[in-house]
Amino acid sequence: MDALISNLSILFLLLPPIVGAGLVTVLRKKRTIGIITICTASLILIQVLLLVSRIVSEKTITAFGDAFYVDSLSAVILLSISVVGFVAALYSKNYMGRQYDNGTVDDKHIVRYYQGFNVFLLTMLVVPIANNLGIMWVMLEATTLVSVLLIMLYFKENAIEAAWKYLIIATVGLSFALIGTVFFYYANINANTSEDAMNWTGMVHHAKLFDPNLVKIAFVFILVGFGTKAGLAPMHTWLPDAHSEAPTPVSAVLSGVLLNCAFYGIIRFHIVSSASIGPEFSNHLLIILAVVSIGIAAASIYFQKDMKRMLAYSSVEHMGLISLGIGFGGLFGIYGAMLQIVNHAMAKPLMFFASGSVSQKYEAKAMSKIKGIIKVMPVTGILFLIGGLALVGMPPFNVFLSEFIILSSGFKSGQFIATSLVILFLVVTFAVFLRHLLKMIFGNPISEMKKGEMGKLAIIPMAVLCSLVVIFGIYIPVQLQTLIQNASTIISGGGFA
Amino acid sequence: METIQLDVLTISGAILLIATFGIVVTRGFMDWLNAYRYQSMVLAGVTAIIGYVTGIWEIYIAAGLTLVIKSIIIPKVLTYVTRKLEIEFKLETNPYVSIRASVIISALLVALSYFLIQQIPFKSDQIVNAYLPVSMAQFFIGLFVLVNRRTVLSQVVGLLIIENGLFLFAMALTHGVSLLIEIGIFVDILVGILISSILLFRISRTFDSLDVGKLENLRDD
Repeated sequence: MDALISNLSILFLLLPPIVGAGLVTVLRKKRTIGIITICTASLILIQVLLLVSRIVSEKTITAFGDAFYVDSLSAVILLSISVVGFVAALYSKNYMGRQYDNGTVDDKHIVRYYQGFNVFLLTMLVVPIANNLGIMWVMLEATTLVSVLLIMLYFKENAIEAAWKYLIIATVGLSFALIGTVFFYYANINANTSEDAMNWTGMVHHAKLFDPNLVKIAFVFILVGFGTKAGLAPMHTWLPDAHSEAPTPVSAVLSGVLLNCAFYGIIRFHIVSSASIGPEFSNHLLIILAVVSIGIAAASIYFQKDMKRMLAYSSVEHMGLISLGIGFGGLFGIYGAMLQIVNHAMAKPLMFFASGSVSQKYEAKAMSKIKGIIKVMPVTGILFLIGGLALVGMPPFNVFLSEFIILSSGFKSGQFIATSLVILFLVVTFAVFLRHLLKMIFGNPISEMKKGEMGKLAIIPMAVLCSLVVIFGIYIPVQLQTLIQNASTIISGGGFA
Repeated sequence: METIQLDVLTISGAILLIATFGIVVTRGFMDWLNAYRYQSMVLAGVTAIIGYVTGIWEIYIAAGLTLVIKSIIIPKVLTYVTRKLEIEFKLETNPYVSIRASVIISALLVALSYFLIQQIPFKSDQIVNAYLPVSMAQFFIGLFVLVNRRTVLSQVVGLLIIENGLFLFAMALTHGVSLLIEIGIFVDILVGILISSILLFRISRTFDSLDVGKLENLRDD
């Protein structure tokens, strides 16, 4: 009976996007397919909330034998996927509608967009619940392919260039990850001969028997591979292009969620590697990549002229912070990193949505051409400001809390050099990002502009995210706290045996 | 029996490497595709040999899929989408490193992969000894082709070589990661090739060139 419920809950999680993509293909009406996608996304959200509430009490769920394995760590990622997916679907309706009215896209493109969006959600949902790490890899590669299709929706030169670079770099990166996965698999079949050698649960179980040298090599491959997809520097070069050229709702999903999915891959192997050779090896590597990422992001934001590219570099910075928290280790640091995943997934989509509305209004993405948002579109302006303040880690918003936890765990674990470097970079980012932001929000518009927002359906998703950003800065719901604590226990090596 | 088998292993590994070098030394896209086609055929044969030695029936299916997808479908698709491209788009006239130097670098990469494989503690058996260095060499040479050439087409070919290397790597080391995953990987490759074909077409239309150097609009300055 219990197994049946688990099977059904996984089935109902994956069914909506499949059916949604099918219906979009069949119906092809612009209005209808937008609404269908919103329905899909809300069904996913409901199902994830149900699943997560079960995870909070039962800790782990397996379904279809042990093909699917959901624990608190997967639940955190699932939550971010479903929330961002939902608001992005809402925002899509308005945004793509306007692009249609502009003549940027035609009917065929709209259908392709919503097909892609549904399939994109599906591929991302499978990543955190697949027990088999090979399947996880296949699905991550699938997310690359689908998102490339979504980026090349526009026929603009820049979009084509971004799509091409993203396709090549991400695929090469993931091929490194596949080698790493095969190495881990090899280590596991050498250690035991059971049938679940490719399953994460099997790997963690036998990790102590792995050959330490193999594990080290394997983890380096994994880190380079999934790190490319997660946007860790110096493998991040595709990220600003892809994230700035995609349609805005897709940028939000790419930045807010897809990076998390890739990072989830690193975390899973980090757990295996820690269980095998202790956490020091992978922690050091994670800290190094984190410091490099945050540093490069700070420098790039300093010289940035394009609004969406700035946000993309800010994603590099936040992935670095997550990596830093995991690398510092200890329950405290990992808790901070998990919280950072959740917080970033709220703040970054908010910023992308706001920047999307702004760039539609101003018909520009260059920051020098955007002035006086607060006078032209007051509501969006305020939301943009709050999102930006949250993103740079200003108290009392949510990101401040997680950044504070991560940095103080750095001092606690004795990583003084890394922590002080990161604080330096964060101060630079703070100043520069705010300067860019304030210049855009205040002042007078360069040319005379009609005052007005971009429509209710553009405001609502932002308002939802903004209220989450504000609330989570002050109060984190108890269930979520338990969930994140459990996830941290799993990562620090206490959640299995 | 033992020695004959070993010879088959060595010779097939050598043919794989020769086919890879075939891509390094030629300038035309059609030549690369042909080299890739032969490489994939040999790869299918190698996979079948591994299936024979280990006695796992799933590997034969993987071998069949390799033969059909990589040596028939993918070359056909790529030939089809590029048939209308002007001939100068399909020629690599000006690689970053000259062809002569590329051959030397590729040879060094082969040596490097034999060296690296010796450093890693694998359980040594015939198949691992014969094919693992070859697969690594394919991987490295694929990466080299990908970064060295200027045409977008050669990046596709580079990716294909890398993928062949990966496939052989997984086959030789672990006798294949279960069939389900392999089918997933095949689907990924097929879809990836289709998408890159569409992109190729659009790049040639929009930029009126397939030179990677033209794809440099997106910068931070």
